[in-house]
Amino acid sequence: MTSSRTEERVRGGRRVPASGLALVLAVALLVALTLAVSRGSTSLPPGEVWAVVARRLAGDAPRPGTGDLVVWQLRVPRALLAALVGAGLGLVGTAVQALVRNPLADPYLLGVSSGASLGAVAAIVLGLGAGSALGLSGAAFAGALVTFALVWAVARRGGGFAPLRLVLAGVAIGQFLSGLTSYLVLRAGDEQQTQSVLFWLMGSLGGATWDLLAVPAVAVPAALVLLQARARGLNALLLGDETAAGLGVDVGRLRRELFVVTSLLTGALVAVSGAIAFVALMVPHTCRLLVGDDHRRLLPLSALGGAVLMVVVDLVCRTAMDAQELPVGVVTSLLGAPTLLFLLDRRLGSDR
Amino acid sequence: MRVDIEGLSVAYAGRTVVAGAHLVAAEGEITGLVGPNGSGKSTLLRTVYRHLRPTAGRVLLAGTDLRALSPARSARHVAALPQERGADVELTVREVVGLGRIPHQRAFAKEGAADRDAVTRALAEVGMAGAAERRFAALSGGERQRVLLARAFAQAPDVLVLDEPTNHLDVRHQVELLALLRGKGRTTLVSLHDLNAAASVCDRLHVLHGGAVVASGPPRAVLTPELLAEVFGVRAAVVDHPLTGDPLIAFDHREAVPPVGGRG
Repeated sequence: MTSSRTEERVRGGRRVPASGLALVLAVALLVALTLAVSRGSTSLPPGEVWAVVARRLAGDAPRPGTGDLVVWQLRVPRALLAALVGAGLGLVGTAVQALVRNPLADPYLLGVSSGASLGAVAAIVLGLGAGSALGLSGAAFAGALVTFALVWAVARRGGGFAPLRLVLAGVAIGQFLSGLTSYLVLRAGDEQQTQSVLFWLMGSLGGATWDLLAVPAVAVPAALVLLQARARGLNALLLGDETAAGLGVDVGRLRRELFVVTSLLTGALVAVSGAIAFVALMVPHTCRLLVGDDHRRLLPLSALGGAVLMVVVDLVCRTAMDAQELPVGVVTSLLGAPTLLFLLDRRLGSDR
Repeated sequence: MRVDIEGLSVAYAGRTVVAGAHLVAAEGEITGLVGPNGSGKSTLLRTVYRHLRPTAGRVLLAGTDLRALSPARSARHVAALPQERGADVELTVREVVGLGRIPHQRAFAKEGAADRDAVTRALAEVGMAGAAERRFAALSGGERQRVLLARAFAQAPDVLVLDEPTNHLDVRHQVELLALLRGKGRTTLVSLHDLNAAASVCDRLHVLHGGAVVASGPPRAVLTPELLAEVFGVRAAVVDHPLTGDPLIAFDHREAVPPVGGRG
């Protein structure tokens, strides 16, 4: 009895109300976005930032000599891209974890992000529709889908479906694909090849422009709606495939839909920001600890939480060093790897 | 609601596990499935709650082929308690029971009064009303199983399908769980490992052997020493239970029946 009581406290028996958490995260997102736009090589007061945004939204002409250009052409799209990518990663992590019934899963660990990177790089190198953002996203999507199917097939071989087997298959296949990606980039020999390798393998939001926002600005909200519509089905899967079937969920169809939605979203995200590690693992898991496993709450909160995290991480990456930027993957790995170790420890402890 | 299983064959992992099974679960009765490991009990039940598709034959629900109904529609009639235990699910007891309302709800819709009432009633029915806000993962095995049964009750089914519901429970929890099934007038189809429990709780039994139904009838008529020797490979006497008067199978734990001609 004492041990179960202790465990109840340790594993977060006291939950946070979801609406309160949503409010806190929304305020945090606004603050983080404002900070992200105001801080940088030249810092601006937050009031100035909002004044520029208000002028631009009102359709007024830019005022020379102010921070107008920096704010509107560089920092606002970059902060928005960070928020969209973070939200997307939060969503895709939640969905993938439900799809494979494994809290250790995320598209980066499962190699799906690496597959998307390879798809995008292959399209650029081979010159396949790489001129358009949509073409690049499409190639990344194809890479993600094929990789996901491959990892799934390898992990399922022999009927069993052990969580660690899935993650190990994903890591192995992901490393292989990352190697291929590096080779393709280096062979293509463009002038910024080191930068390109870093972008595709570690992720970066440095390429943000207003144009680049288009695909994620459609894909992320669309994915939220599509997943939220399936939130009850995802809840049914929590207890297992048989229970879900008994609750009238067409499990095979739901899985296929989730495969496509998560691969599409991963493709859309990787095409604009590269493969960013661990965000899709950390964010849903932290939200689960706070509000429980009900996907009707978990999906929107993971999107919000991911947005806050990525905006803050990108701000840190831009301002931590004077001379150059850190790739976002450096910071997310520093945060995410300990999270993974914590999860592994708990998982192995409880499975025995 | 009556369930007819007609000439049902099911393959699982490339092997035919159920081969032309016929049986009837009569309206309002508790129908038991018994048989040795691998005889096809779970597989047969999985087709009734539509986790598996039959390769031949059909399952009729009050005369209607199950497969003519949408999955959600048949789940409003048939609720299942599979062997999955969901021990690592991070939900409260009330939320777990609330999952039973999924077939009655539309996407995006909020829980209605009917959903809340069904959950409250189901929790009361299994004696877990006081634990509604506790974490499911923090309950004991017996309590969890009662909550999962309440989840099936909340589905407000006409037919309840249970696959080895007493597995891994201690004797007291087994007795408590089976008591929750009795006297409800709900059509119930349950597989049980424990033949004495089956003899006590079921109105009728069907014995599965090699994927086919080899005997059907009231427990006393079915559970004969001859059948126990032939199907289960054990020596046993069937006597009257001194307390309840139910058939009581007294196994000979010293010696199994020697196999005849190879296959037991």
